[in-house]
Amino acid sequence: MDKVILKILLRIIHLFAKKDVDFDRLKIIAETKILMDRRRSPANYRQKQRREIKNPLLITLVMYALLGLFMASVILARFPLMIGLTTLHAYLLFMMAMTLVTDFSSVLLDTTDNVIILPKPVSSRTLFLARVVHILVYLLQFTIALAIFPLIAVFIKFGVVTGLVNLVMTLLTVAFSVFLTYLLYAFILRFANEQKVKDIISYFQLFMTIFFAIGFQVFPRMINLDNIQLTFSLHWYSYLIPPVWMAVGTEAFNQWNFDQVHLLMLACAIIVPIGTVWLMIKFLAPSFSRKLAALNNNTEVTKKTAAGQQAGKDLSEKISPLVCTTTIEKAGFEKTWKITARDKGFRMQFYPSLAYILVFIFIIVFNSGKNITETWYKLPETKRFLAFIYLPMMSIVSCLPIVAFNDNYVAAWVYQSAPLTKPGEVISGMLKSLLIKFLIPVYIVMFAASYYIWGAQVIDDFILGFFNNAFIFLLMAYLSDHYLPFSRQANIKAQTGKLVRMMLQLILVAVLVAGHYFALRIFWLPSALIPLSVLGGYLLMRAIQRLPWTKIAI
Amino acid sequence: MSVIETQNLKKQYAGKYVLQGINLSIDAGQVVGYIGPNGAGKSTTIKIIAGITDEFEGEVSVFGMDVRKHALEIKQRIGYIPEQAAIYDVLTPIEYLRFIGRLYGLSEEVISKKSWELLRLFELSDKAETRMNTYSKGMKQKVLLISGLIHNPEIIFLDEPLSGLDANAVILVKEILSQLKHSGKTIFYSSHIMDVVEKISDRIVIIDKGAVVADGSFETLQQQAHKGTLENIFTSLTGGDQQNTSTAKEFIHVLNS
Repeated sequence: MDKVILKILLRIIHLFAKKDVDFDRLKIIAETKILMDRRRSPANYRQKQRREIKNPLLITLVMYALLGLFMASVILARFPLMIGLTTLHAYLLFMMAMTLVTDFSSVLLDTTDNVIILPKPVSSRTLFLARVVHILVYLLQFTIALAIFPLIAVFIKFGVVTGLVNLVMTLLTVAFSVFLTYLLYAFILRFANEQKVKDIISYFQLFMTIFFAIGFQVFPRMINLDNIQLTFSLHWYSYLIPPVWMAVGTEAFNQWNFDQVHLLMLACAIIVPIGTVWLMIKFLAPSFSRKLAALNNNTEVTKKTAAGQQAGKDLSEKISPLVCTTTIEKAGFEKTWKITARDKGFRMQFYPSLAYILVFIFIIVFNSGKNITETWYKLPETKRFLAFIYLPMMSIVSCLPIVAFNDNYVAAWVYQSAPLTKPGEVISGMLKSLLIKFLIPVYIVMFAASYYIWGAQVIDDFILGFFNNAFIFLLMAYLSDHYLPFSRQANIKAQTGKLVRMMLQLILVAVLVAGHYFALRIFWLPSALIPLSVLGGYLLMRAIQRLPWTKIAI
Repeated sequence: MSVIETQNLKKQYAGKYVLQGINLSIDAGQVVGYIGPNGAGKSTTIKIIAGITDEFEGEVSVFGMDVRKHALEIKQRIGYIPEQAAIYDVLTPIEYLRFIGRLYGLSEEVISKKSWELLRLFELSDKAETRMNTYSKGMKQKVLLISGLIHNPEIIFLDEPLSGLDANAVILVKEILSQLKHSGKTIFYSSHIMDVVEKISDRIVIIDKGAVVADGSFETLQQQAHKGTLENIFTSLTGGDQQNTSTAKEFIHVLNS
């Protein structure tokens, strides 16, 4: 698709090309950029793809098209035109801006061009045009992927004229999203250095990954909205919301109604995107690229924290003496705590699975095929708090394989060069760190929710559940291959026996849940089982601490 | 005849002058080693002469042409090899060289023939169609070298050309540089590796804090500074001499405490 768009754009430029534009060079730059886009691994939902895929871009586009399918069904549902179109344009604006920030930012903020293309005999006008073509190709292919199904739906439901007007409005929405993205960049660049910018963008990427993960679970379940009645009314603040302009603008043609309100909105819909983009190209972009270049030149960032002694203690340094026995264990604990917070790779792979906890709970607790409100009122009579206790662990345990990986895996040489006789203690420190850092906060939230629904009766169950969870976590860690934290190279082939381990985990959780469920019949039994669970966890932890080098995979 | 000429070249970043009046006049066929501590302004000078940065004060001309006015013509006749392996590494070397070659206006056949030959000479032909994101820094540096030379430029600018190369490749690159010199090319490069600079340069320019502190052949510098090696001359001129010794002493002191 990208090549077709490129061809068409190049045709158009060829017609209007002036003397100072070098068409051959323009073409080769645009072609190369597009080729590189195809190979860039997508920023969102990276965690699923460890192998090198031939055309990751295509997969991204297909995902977007699928989302578009849901949107098309919203259009086709029995909503009035205004609601359907406002939703559609809000969705387009959001998706386009987010895609530009998360996925295209690496291209936009990349200054490699300055050392690769600038030394070559390419006129600045040619380079500028090549960049514009590149961005247009990118925008257009994402627009097509995002909007093709909803656009078709609008054509089917509201006819050709409305469809065509909506098509134009879609392009205007895309143009406006470019401006929004630009504003965001300009804002970030104003306050942050290069590393900060990358960090901020990585949080956006994380957000999008979670959005996709949840979106694909939740949207299909929400399609059945037919019997909900929604009406649309204009408030004063509607004038401030761009998607409303687009929707009202389209409605004007649909109803052939050009009163004051419609004309005003139509004017906004056309003038604002075009005006802002023009403003951006004409006045703002040059200073932007200068700032960007300066960003790359100021590599020597002055650190705020001066000598190490003055800096305050990290949280992990306060916790580690409380839970760790040896210095080696403390080292493993603190290192794991800090790197899991700072390493982008870990965040991107693990945090989305935390978001899945909500999805699991939603599906298992509420999705019994009945009315949600009815389920909610009957909830206190059930024993579904067991789901709140045991579901989080299904996600949290996935940090075990992830924590072994790191882009900077070579730094793990320190384990070998140091006189480390009990490598198991590094692993036990790591496990304690992960349990405290990830299980406890999630568990507290789960407890609060359950306490709210079921009341004090769940307290002993949550205590028992906590130790059972720790037991599951430690057992899974004990049974899988042992790696020292952050010591494996990313992108090597997926670990073997993954399925077996998954099955084992499911069986284990099922047994514990069943046991817990039956124990609930006897009032005092859950409390009585707590020591047993603690003992199991303690024995496992001790076994892990004593792991010799021969049991550690390197 | 001088092919590179700078007069009172100044450059400021955020109100601070990183170059404070550089005057250079370099003859055709010279090999010039441009050395200085980090942040002295080496890369900045090279970028300005190669026409990459056009915001500067003073006069700079290459082949007798003003770099501000004739940037494209100059760029066609010079080669620039950046530092830090700046390269599009999702491409294969063949694709990358095709891209670069076309930017220089070379024909497809010439590019293809030259790329394969040169990659073979650098022992990269079996990897010529693998994406460079799996390459080591040295392998990328080799591709960069080829990309900066593929259009057979008259002046070659190299920014830290030896960093990341293994011992054999350093010797090879050194040899290539001296062969290029024999065929009449002008070479202007920056480097940290003093003994290489000492051996292959006709002329050594040392800068510190944006100003030239020494300029001349190795022998001249030796006589002026009364020091044996380039390293000694360098540290005495850039003020690191005493300080390095005392820092090292203190370092050992802390270790023993």
